[in-house]
Amino acid sequence: MSARNRARSFLSIVYLNGILPMRAQPLYLLNTIASPLAFLFFIDVASRGALSSFAITGGLILTILTTGTGIQADLVHYKQDLKFQDVVVASPVEAPIYVAGMAFSEFVYSIPGLAVFLLLSVGVLDYTVVGTLTLAGALVLIWGFSTAFGFTLATYFSDIREAFVFAPLISILMTTLPPVYYPITYIPASIRWAAYLSPTTYAADLVHRGLCAAGSACYEAPSAAATAVDWGVLTGLTVVLIVLAATKARWREP
Amino acid sequence: MATAVSAQHLSKTYTYRGGSTQALDDVSFDIPAGETYGLIGRNGAGKTTFLRITGTLLLPSSGTATVLGYDIRTEEREIRRRIAMVPQESRPLYFATTEQLIDGYLRMRGMDGTEARRRRNDVIDELGLADVRRRLVSRLSGGQRRRVMVAMVLASDAELLFLDEPTTGLDPLARREVWSAIQRATRERRTVLLTTHYLDEAEALSSRLALLEGGHLRIEGTPDSIRARVQLPYRVTLDSSWSVDELTSFGPVTSVVGGHLLFTREKEAREIVQSALARGSRVALAPVSLEDIFLQLVGRPLDEGEVTEKPEEPE
Ligand SMILES: Nc1ncnc2c1ncn2[C@@H]1O[C@H](COP(=O)(O)OP(=O)(O)OP(=O)(O)O)[C@@H](O)[C@H]1O
Ligand SMILES: [Mg+2]
Repeated sequence: MSARNRARSFLSIVYLNGILPMRAQPLYLLNTIASPLAFLFFIDVASRGALSSFAITGGLILTILTTGTGIQADLVHYKQDLKFQDVVVASPVEAPIYVAGMAFSEFVYSIPGLAVFLLLSVGVLDYTVVGTLTLAGALVLIWGFSTAFGFTLATYFSDIREAFVFAPLISILMTTLPPVYYPITYIPASIRWAAYLSPTTYAADLVHRGLCAAGSACYEAPSAAATAVDWGVLTGLTVVLIVLAATKARWREP
Repeated sequence: MATAVSAQHLSKTYTYRGGSTQALDDVSFDIPAGETYGLIGRNGAGKTTFLRITGTLLLPSSGTATVLGYDIRTEEREIRRRIAMVPQESRPLYFATTEQLIDGYLRMRGMDGTEARRRRNDVIDELGLADVRRRLVSRLSGGQRRRVMVAMVLASDAELLFLDEPTTGLDPLARREVWSAIQRATRERRTVLLTTHYLDEAEALSSRLALLEGGHLRIEGTPDSIRARVQLPYRVTLDSSWSVDELTSFGPVTSVVGGHLLFTREKEAREIVQSALARGSRVALAPVSLEDIFLQLVGRPLDEGEVTEKPEEPE
C-alpha cells in the first residue's frame, strides 16, 4: 500500500469503528465519562474537597486507561463474533494499520472525557510549557501502554465474555487501588512498593507533580531522580508491551 | 489458461486441548483464473479450512499453495493485495448504514472516494439493496446483512474473491441476484472461489467443482465431467402404481413421497419410460443432478480410479 492508501485505510477504520458508533449511539460516551466523574464526586465529598485536585488528575488517567479495555473488547468482538478481522486480514490492509485505526478510534471515544477533565484541571494543574509537556507525555505513554496491553490480552481470548471479566479487574488494579486518585504518601511506607507494581503509579507521580508546581496540592517535594525513574519505567513498560503485542499478535493462525 | 489457486499436498491438522482433527489431508488441485470454482461437501468436510488457508488466514500443517502465483507461506502480502473474502458466518459492523459500510470497506482497501461511491452504487442496485441503502445495518434482516457482506466484497477491485457460503439464508430471488453478481464478476475476468450447500447453485455458477469429504478431495472437474463419471446418469421418478420389485432390476430404487426414485443407465431408462407410458402411469425422466451425484457418492467407499483418473477435457 502506498502512504496515501495507508492513510485512507487508517481513516476509514477510525470512521467505521469510532465515528459511526459514536454518532449512532452517543450514550456510549457517557460510559467512558461516568465512572471518573463518579469518583471525582465521591472523593470530593469524602475528603471535604482536600483531594479534589487529585481526583481530577485521576480522572484524566482513568479516562485514557479505559481506551485499553475498550480496544481489548472490540478486538475480541470483531474477531470472534463478527469475523471482521478475517475480512480485514484477507484484504490489502496491513496489521499495524488495523491496530492503529482501532486504537485511535478508542481515543476518539475518550475525547469528551478528556475534555471535561482537562477543563476541570485548569487552575489546578501546572500549565507552563514544561508542565503541559509532562502531562501530555504521561497521558500518551499511558495510552500506548493500555492499548498494547489490551491488544495483547485480546490475543489470548476467544470469547467476549472473557474480555468483559478482565475490564473491571484491570480498572480496579490500575486506577482504584494505586495512588492515582490520592497521594502516594497516604500509603504506609512499608507497603508503598506495591503501588509501584502498577504502571499508572508512575504516570500519576508525574501528573501529581503538576499539582505541586501549580501550588494546588503537594505532599512530597519532587526530586529530579524520581522524575527520571518515572519516565524511564513508563517508557520502558510501554515499549516492552508494544513489542510483546507485536510478537503475540496473530494476524494469521498457526 | 492461467491458474488462480494451486494447492499442493495441503494438509491441516487442528490441535486443541484434548485432541486434534485432521481437516484436510493431502489435497492437491488447481483453480483456473477468471471462473467461478465451487467447493462442496458435507459439514466438516474441510471447505472453510481450505478457504482460510488459501485466503492467508490460516497456515497449513504441511504442503503449500500458490495463490495468483504467490506462495501462501512467504508472499502473503502480495496475495492480500489482490483478494477479498466473505468468511462463513461473518456479520457486518452494525453502526453503519449499508452505503457507509460498503464505502468504508472499499476505502479501507485503499480505493479513492469517488471510485468507491460509483462501485457501491452499482453493487447496491445489482444486489437489490436499494431500499435499505441508508438504513443502519443493525436494522436489516439476516439475509439482507448477508447480502451487504457479499456486496462489499463484490464491489472491491480484488482479483480473487473467496465466498464462504455467501447465499446461506437468502430467499430464492435474492439468491439469484447474488448469482448474477457473481457471474458478472467472472465476466470481468475475476476468479470466485465459492462454497455452498446448495448444489443447484454450485452447478449453476461453477465452471469446475471439487467435492471434499472428510478432508480428502473426493472428485474434481467440470459439472459435465462429474456427471459423465457416474455410472447411473439418469433419474426416473415413477408413481406408486409400481412396486419396488418391478423396478429393482433397472437400478437402485428409493421410495419417495408419492412414488419411487430410480437411478439407471440410458437403455434401461428408455425401457422403463416406454412401459410406464404404455401403462398410463406418470413418469419423469431427467439427467442426474449434482445433488443426486452427491447423495450417490458421499459416504460410500471410494471407487478405485474415481478421483485419481481425471478425464482430459478440451481446454
Ligand atoms: N478452529 C478449529 N479447531 C479445531 N477443529 C476445527 C477448527 N475449525 C474446524 N475444525 C474441524 O475441522 C474440520 C473441517 O472444518 P471446516 O470448517 O473446514 O468444514 P466445512 O467443510 O467448512 O464445514 P461446514 O459446511 O459445516 O462449514 C471439522 O471436523 C471441524 O470440526
Ligand atoms: Mg465451512
